[in-house]
Amino acid sequence: MPVEIDRRPLWLLLLVKGTRLLLLLSLALLFWFIVAIDPPQGLSPAGKNAIAIFIVCLSLWITNLIPLAVTSILAIIMVPLFGVLTEKETYSLFGNEAVFFILGAFILAGAVMRSGLGSRVATMIMKRFGGSSTGLARSIFLLAAVLSFFISEHAVAAMLFPMVLEIAKALKLRPGKSNYGKLLFISLAWGCIIGGVATFLGGARVPLAVGILRETSDKSIDFLDYSLAVLPVVVIMLTVGYFVLARLFPVDIEGIEEAQEVLLKKLQGMGKVSYNEYAVGIIMGLTFLAWFFLGRALGLALIALASVVTLFVFKLVRWRDIEEYVNWGIILMYGGAIILGSALDKSGAARWMADMTIQNWAETPLMVVALFSLATLILTEGMSNAAVIAVLMPVGIGMSGSFGMDPVIVTLAIAIPAGLAFALPMSTPANAIAVSSNYVNVKDMARAGIIMSITSWIVFNLVARFYWPIIGLKF
Amino acid sequence: MKKHVNCRRHGAAIDAPRRTIDPDNMEKSYLQNPALLKIELMLRGTRVDPGAWDAVGTSGDLEGVADGIDIELSHKTPVNVPCKEDFTRNSPYLLKSEGGRFHITDGRDRVEVGIIRKPRFYTRKTTTGIPFSRIGVVHGSYVAITPSKRCDFFNSDVECRFCAMDLDGSTGPSATYSVDEVLETVEAAHREDRANSIYLSIGFSDGPDGGVEFLKPYIRAIKKHFNSLLAVEALPPEDNGWIDETYAIGVDSVLYNLEIYDRELFDTICPGRARLIGRDRYVEALRYAATVFPNGTVASHLLVGLEPPGSTVMGIDLLTSIGVIPILPIYRPSAGKAVRIEPLTTEVIAPVYGHLYRAVKKNGISMNWVRDISIITTPLEARFLTKEKKEGLDAAIQSIYNTKIGLKAAWGLATLRRKLRVRKTEESLDHPDI
Repeated sequence: MPVEIDRRPLWLLLLVKGTRLLLLLSLALLFWFIVAIDPPQGLSPAGKNAIAIFIVCLSLWITNLIPLAVTSILAIIMVPLFGVLTEKETYSLFGNEAVFFILGAFILAGAVMRSGLGSRVATMIMKRFGGSSTGLARSIFLLAAVLSFFISEHAVAAMLFPMVLEIAKALKLRPGKSNYGKLLFISLAWGCIIGGVATFLGGARVPLAVGILRETSDKSIDFLDYSLAVLPVVVIMLTVGYFVLARLFPVDIEGIEEAQEVLLKKLQGMGKVSYNEYAVGIIMGLTFLAWFFLGRALGLALIALASVVTLFVFKLVRWRDIEEYVNWGIILMYGGAIILGSALDKSGAARWMADMTIQNWAETPLMVVALFSLATLILTEGMSNAAVIAVLMPVGIGMSGSFGMDPVIVTLAIAIPAGLAFALPMSTPANAIAVSSNYVNVKDMARAGIIMSITSWIVFNLVARFYWPIIGLKF
Repeated sequence: MKKHVNCRRHGAAIDAPRRTIDPDNMEKSYLQNPALLKIELMLRGTRVDPGAWDAVGTSGDLEGVADGIDIELSHKTPVNVPCKEDFTRNSPYLLKSEGGRFHITDGRDRVEVGIIRKPRFYTRKTTTGIPFSRIGVVHGSYVAITPSKRCDFFNSDVECRFCAMDLDGSTGPSATYSVDEVLETVEAAHREDRANSIYLSIGFSDGPDGGVEFLKPYIRAIKKHFNSLLAVEALPPEDNGWIDETYAIGVDSVLYNLEIYDRELFDTICPGRARLIGRDRYVEALRYAATVFPNGTVASHLLVGLEPPGSTVMGIDLLTSIGVIPILPIYRPSAGKAVRIEPLTTEVIAPVYGHLYRAVKKNGISMNWVRDISIITTPLEARFLTKEKKEGLDAAIQSIYNTKIGLKAAWGLATLRRKLRVRKTEESLDHPDI
């Protein structure tokens, strides 16, 4: 058990460690205070309690004083306990379609990874299109993006990371010094981030946002509509990203023969395509087609779960293998977030909060979109993007009601920017993985990331203003 | 036949420390000064009035327990007094009993003392049949346990010349006591409120960890079952990381015993330590440990009587300057191991203890951890050997720590400090995000 002795003064250590308890105690006191006071005009007692629970969960999600999933469990306990929703209503919300869609997507991604199909496709594409130094960087960037259309961006980053690291080592790039090393790893991270917002599958945040939307209004967004709405953002950001990378990290090496050798060896080591890879590939292909064309009629979760059952029918995966890939914490976190969002909506608290806050600053629906997208982009740099959704969605839905806007617009204004966290390693696992390589430092990432974040806000708002009305999303 | 070392040749070379014993006091009697009397009794022993024997109840034939009477002098000063050895026949002191009360007299004066009864558990055995007295020995408020009686130096040409212990654990059925046997012993001592602190020690074994790896299961088990403070006497490990780990696994106090300050004498008297560890490593390890463990919990023995007093004084100065508390046991020669300097009298060594108190105080080292030990004169007890007559803050704090609440507080604070200070490397990999 390697240990370190913290030699800072004891009073400082006590303060640092005690802060957590102090904050938790303060939160508890704040909660009791809000619960004890009379509700302000226009807010029901249940709404006031819902806001008290929301403030506690919001603080815990931002500060990470307890794990995100545990905060959601706390919400599940408190909502019925303080009479915001009945116990039955609370638990039934956990059976939301979004939760089961996320579960299905995790299992499908697990099957792709486990079968070796993901690694094979990635290696083949890099070998085929990575013939030159710029070509290799470009293929990593686009490959990460395209793979993130289909499986979680976190899984893509984790899958491609060892390959990129092997390439960097084969090319003898110096960690922290080599521009090309920085280029490769930031390409990987940004590819995952931009690709991750393209569909429902890039991350679980979009299904979560849609889940909250569905529970708090009679509206929904299907797979195809979402992808259509976000497509220009993805294309423009991929283009901008490519040029920003080329500008900030000019290639400082000549040949990449060693990298090609690494990829060739890897491909040879994989042998021929196995039955499992073929079968998983076919099932995944059919699943995507079904999501695109039958999603509205059958529901995304149903299709995902049907594919999962098919995988097991053909013995393509074992449950033990899948358990490695299912993040039960995320499932719990999302269930709790949907319950909290629904509690705020049904008690009238969301509407009341929206009236009291952003409504004072926003005068037009366009400003609502601009403000929410900005708030989301800022928050997502510092906290889990799923937590950002959980925090902003209830207020956003309330706000859309105040302005008579389609709640789908506000959902998109939160769900899309929530995935666009470029600047900090704690923003998203893809960034953290890139920094963990030691080829990229936080300063490099922040310098390039800030440019991308500002650009993405501008691009998103331009798309919303000029493109969305064309596809029927008017506000 | 053991080799003898002539330590006298150093006697005149080093100046004796400054004396601060009140000459008037010395002229009259040592009886009224608990520190002086403690040293006197440890050096000269006492005779016991026949009428007092039954009431005293010595260890008799108990295995592992030194013969001697545990007496409490004034200011709650415990002392283990030899009473059966040949040299005690000439002692000027006599322990007498009158009407259930005890006193010591030197023929001119007398002072009332208390008798600390031998623990009852000494007469019992573990479930495996080993006498508790062989595993754990009570010295004041702590129980000393040596889980393995083995020392690789024993009976070799590098054996410490002063060593009087039977550490040839390679033979016999109980070379090593099991964790359960040690736990049973601690529990037995706990039941009699005799185990405020546990003191684990180990002989030399060749390894980079200084013996901590061997002691680890004992330390963990004791910490898991008892709220006792734990001291470990080990050897300086090769790497300071082991010192961090020693603290992290629950050790509250650590001792790396230098024994001899004088470099030349160290090499001669402790050839094994000198050759395989080195005096410099002792000092370096102690210096580092003092930055890891709480103030006043890193200690090192300097044997009084194996080197000239001036040399011991220099050792005290070195140790206290690096935040280490010197512990000064008086060397009692055993048969065939007569390596001590002569004469070893209270007049000669009392000033050394006086210096100990001043040096510890001057360097701001806490005196609250090394306390209530019957076989050494603690730094705080040594205050009676200086001009400082007042019961200072240290004495007040120590009296608080001697209460049940004080002991619990000490344990709680030590545990809290460890919780705050120790960071396991694997923890940094845990991210609260999911």
